[in-house]
Amino acid sequence: MNGDGEWEVALFLSVHHALRAEKLLKKAEIPCKLIPVPRHLSSDCGVCLRFAPPLRSQVEAALAGRVDIGAIHPL
Amino acid sequence: MEKIVDTRGLTCPEPVILTKKALEEATELLVLADNDEAVENIRRLANRMGCAVDVARGEEGGFRIRLSRSGEASPSEGTDIGIVCGAAKERGTPLVIVLSSDRLGRGNDELGEVLMRSFVHTLLTLEPRPATIIFYNTGVRLATRESALIDDLRQLEAAGVGLFVCGTCVNYFGLKEQLGAGIISNMYDIAATMTGAGKLVIP
Repeated sequence: MNGDGEWEVALFLSVHHALRAEKLLKKAEIPCKLIPVPRHLSSDCGVCLRFAPPLRSQVEAALAGRVDIGAIHPL
Repeated sequence: MEKIVDTRGLTCPEPVILTKKALEEATELLVLADNDEAVENIRRLANRMGCAVDVARGEEGGFRIRLSRSGEASPSEGTDIGIVCGAAKERGTPLVIVLSSDRLGRGNDELGEVLMRSFVHTLLTLEPRPATIIFYNTGVRLATRESALIDDLRQLEAAGVGLFVCGTCVNYFGLKEQLGAGIISNMYDIAATMTGAGKLVIP
């Protein structure tokens, strides 16, 4: 489950943005998981949303105009 | 049909926890074990659950433990397992984590929930892995099927981490049917595990 290349993570400007994004994705029934931001991406104690790479366009569409995505990184 | 549980190579309390789980589903069990401690813990479990137990030496120096549970003996009555992990204590310092709330820290509830999800997710990557995680008070909510971190808990359990869920608390909140991970435990096991821990973390 934590292997390389299996996941992508979306980073947000704040914890509030991340929580709002999670709610929107849940509502849209797009599987995602709130996880701590991996150490190699940021040393902040933040959270990000992890999802399967094929869902990237769905994630972006569901959040478009609602929550700004800071960046998307492969895990 | 006889079910086989192979506990060889596992460290305490994994063998007895696996055995207890298997006994909840099967009435006839063959357990393979490779150390005295596992045998003693399983024997104690069998006695408390009203199972007949027969221990024989296996071919390669291990043990073959046959357990059979009669129809009347209910596994739920045997929640007091009385696990003793003395040898494990000598080998190292078992890390025990106590989740006494469904939130991490005090202050903001929503934030506390997010932090708890992050904390438990992080335990998957932690070295050394905790030997046991104890859940009591509102912490037991974390181990229900609807919990946001049930997948992480199941992964930890599959990796051999013992999850002890306070039976009194599950009963108090009426969550017995919703439990999605861990085994129902009681204050004897919880107190013994906490006082026997090499390192006790209560976040």
